[in-house]
Parts: sequence; structure tokens; C-alpha cells
Amino acid sequence: MRNIVWPQGVKCVVALTVDSDGPCCEIGQKVLPLGARAHGRYSGKGGIQRYLDLFARENIPATFYVCGHDAEAWPDLVRAIAGAGHEVAAHGYMHENFELGEAEPALLEKSHDILTAVTGGPPRGWRSPGGRKSALTMRTLQRLGYRYDSSEKDDDFPYLAEFDGQHLEGFMELPNNTSSLDDFPFYRVSYTPPSEVLAHWIEEFDAIYREGGYFNLTLHPRLGYGSGSPARSAIIRRLIAHIRQYSDARFMRMIDIADWCLREPARWAHGRIL
Amino acid sequence: MPRQACTLCVSVNFHGTSLERQNFPHEKLYAKFGYGRYTGNVGHQRVRSLLRDRGLKATYFVPAYEAQAQPWAIEEIMADGHEIASHGFMMEDLGQAGEKEGELLGQAHEFLTRLTGKPPRGFRAPHGQMSACTLPILSRLGYFYDASFQDDFRPYALDGDGGTGMVEIPQNEMLIDATLYGLNHTHARVLKTWIEEFDAAWEEGGLLVLTLHPRSDYGSGRASRIGLVARFLDHVLTRENVGWQTCGEVAAAWRAGGNVGPGRP
Repeated sequence: MRNIVWPQGVKCVVALTVDSDGPCCEIGQKVLPLGARAHGRYSGKGGIQRYLDLFARENIPATFYVCGHDAEAWPDLVRAIAGAGHEVAAHGYMHENFELGEAEPALLEKSHDILTAVTGGPPRGWRSPGGRKSALTMRTLQRLGYRYDSSEKDDDFPYLAEFDGQHLEGFMELPNNTSSLDDFPFYRVSYTPPSEVLAHWIEEFDAIYREGGYFNLTLHPRLGYGSGSPARSAIIRRLIAHIRQYSDARFMRMIDIADWCLREPARWAHGRIL
Repeated sequence: MPRQACTLCVSVNFHGTSLERQNFPHEKLYAKFGYGRYTGNVGHQRVRSLLRDRGLKATYFVPAYEAQAQPWAIEEIMADGHEIASHGFMMEDLGQAGEKEGELLGQAHEFLTRLTGKPPRGFRAPHGQMSACTLPILSRLGYFYDASFQDDFRPYALDGDGGTGMVEIPQNEMLIDATLYGLNHTHARVLKTWIEEFDAAWEEGGLLVLTLHPRSDYGSGRASRIGLVARFLDHVLTRENVGWQTCGEVAAAWRAGGNVGPGRP
């Protein structure tokens, strides 16, 4: 096992991450965001604000992965995210969860420029919309000055990013897990009541905390597959209360976790590359 | 008290990246296609230490590709005293393999024999998919048992199905972690299902095969999930008249006496 060292007094780092996932998810798939396909509009109408209010009340720094198209549609809201001290990171232009090939660098740059213009500073983190990436994605992100990606599902801890057997200098992988620590599978696949999802995430947290870990939860502020509704956001408040019982669990922005790791990159190198 | 003794087999389907490698080249095995790498990075060690802590020997069904790609893991599994059995070459659907099936199974057999130093005696079909030729091929290769069927709570002879001389060690889909995790059910639902399955089966006695995967999506490799497996094992192994054996031991005992004994306590 790697010799994990968190900032002094911290046994477990906690990243609450919110993927904006507005109506661009549907538009990008050539689906009109109307009628029952309009779930994503809720992110802009109330879902993102609900999480901003919750994090403000709880005094928690969080990370928002914002699609470029959502930032164009809701510039004031995205400015408010950054203004509250949260991290605004990149999440595709229209949540492209399909192969982009040679068109990808231009789209990554487009979203990069939009987020930079709206928030006043460049994004430093990226999460793949839909969970695909390529060597070209990683090279482009590195060229644009990104310091981490949060799309891998192959480890419990951050590690120095690699692609196809090569380590990427000054670039961290901060894994997420779309199977167990994401709202989508429970609300779109198994249709589980929020109270049971809360119990599941509490078990995840407790097990990760015991191992001195890294807890990265992915939420979506939309309706439908997300956690934008009153019932589903209420369990996040209760989850925070649970985590708060542990004084050595620290809520951190993803970029702050990446920068912490990059102070001593060698510590985070993978023992073996598969 | 149960009417008859109950035997638990713990089986581990050692799935790494072989599932995705069937459809994608190496450079695509990242992000959502990278769950399989969790097995080698983390999940395998978690399953290993749980089995060691509980003093259990398991049967690992290993796709030959995984053994070739992660030989260190195979060495660890053997050093721990577990049984290694075949799980095809690279998660091929044998129902669709057509005339290549004999070659695939023969190649997997040869690889595992070379890597482990002895021929595997047991087999479990990837995805549980078989053709009418699978059992005859396995029988010709000298396999003693199969563990792919889901149609009984006791071992039985496979001669009538084309597996001449072979024994079936059937599993129960509700005791396969991937069944419910694959549908994104919560830990609590999985544990509740397993306990209800076991409690009722215990009344009758017989064979219970628990099947685990070390992956982080449809498997039990995550810290929270291995904790759940531990709770289930503690529930099972503290009941009266329950023991455990490897799949190979159950097959041999059944062949020798026509019965499922209690196994080791």
C-alpha cells in the first residue's frame, strides 16, 4: 500500500462534487429538453442554488464540474459558485459522452475559455462527461494547464496520473466511482429511496474513513437521475452531519487535494502500471 | 437445527480487465472502461486478506488472460492455498464461440496448467454462457467438475449433459455479488438478500456457493463491500452444522460418497 499522508490533523479527505449537467446533456445528444426530457433545466432553476445554499450553511468548500454550455446559459449562477469560494472545474461543452476524435482539443479549449471568462480564472480540474477519455484528452488538458482529472475508477486513492504506461508530470488522478459513490446508479438504475442511499453512502464513508481515505461523492443538481429534489438533497445534509462527527475528516476542494498531492508527487506514484 | 449439514463454498471470479479487452484496445481501458484495473490495484488484496482473516480457502475461477497479465496475483492465490480453476480465456461468450470454442478452452487450459504447475480440475463458464459442446470439450480435457449451472442446491453428475465423468457444483444467482451490484443495489439490500437466502437454505441443508468479484463496479472489492462480505461470512460460519470447502473438495466428496458433508468448521 502507498504511504498516504494527508494535511496535519486530517485522517480522511472529503470531496463533495457536483456535476452541473443542465439541458445541454440532452441537447448534445440531439434530444429536445422538453416535457419529460427537461430534467436538466432544474439544475439552473434551483438545483445548483440548493447546493450553494447547503454548502454555505454548512461552511463547506466544494467542487462543481460545469459544462461549458451551462456556463454560457447561466453565467451569473456559475459566477456565484466561484464567488462563494468553490472550485469551478470543466465537464465538457455539452456533456459529450461519446468519441470526439480529433475534434476534442478544440472543444476542451472552448469550454476552458468559457469557464475562464465567466469565473475570471482558468479551470484546473476536469471530469469526463460520461466517463470516457483518451491519450489526446490527457495531453490537451496538460497543455491547457490542468492539474488533475477525476474520471478513473481503478483505485481508492489519488495517484500520479498515467496514460498507456507513461506517468504525466505534475498531473494527478483523483478517482471517482460511478457505481457506488454517485447518485445516478441509485436513482436511474435501481430507483432506490433516498433514505437507503444515505445508509449506503454512510457505510461507504465509514469504511473509507477507517482506511484513512479519500471520499469523493458525485452529485447531479438536476431532477431525474440527480439529487436536485428536496428529498434527495435532504440526505446530503444528513450525510454531512454524519461526516461532521469525525473532527479529522476534512472537506476539501478537489484542486486543493491535487495541489496537496503534487507537493510530494513521488509519494503518489503507482507501484505498478497495469 | 438444519435437517442436514450445510457446506459453504466461497468462489472468486477473478475478473480484471479481460471483460473490457474483448471489445476495446488497451488505450481505451480508462475511466468508465477501467473498473477492471481495480482488481489488481486494490480489490484482489482486500479479498485475499478477508479470506486469510477468516481462515477460508476459496476457489478462484481465473480467465487465462488474467493469469498471464497478473502472474504475481496467481502466485499469491496459490501461496495462500486456494484452488485455481479455469474461467475461459478472456471472458468469451462460449455460446457464441462456434468452432473456435475447442481451441479457446484448450488454450486456457494450457496457460493455466503452465502458470500454476498443474491442470485445473474445475471450470466456470464466463457469463455463465455455454454451448452444447462446452461440457464434452471440458470432459475431454480432463475436467472433473463444472460450476456454472444454477439449477440445484446439491452437486449432481453431468454425464447426462455431455460432461462424462464430471460433477456439477451449482451456484445460486442471488449469492453472486454481481447480480445485485450490477443493478446498482445498495449494500444493505445485498446483505439482506444473502442472509435471507442463507437462513432458508440452512433449514434444508446442502450446498451454498457464494461468488465474489474483486472489481469496484459489480464486485465486492471496495472497503465497504468487503466489510459486508465479512458480516455475511460471520453470520454463516457461526451457525450450527455449517462448514466450508473448496468447490474441488465438494466435488470430490460428493463423487466419493454421494453426499454433501459439513466440510471444515
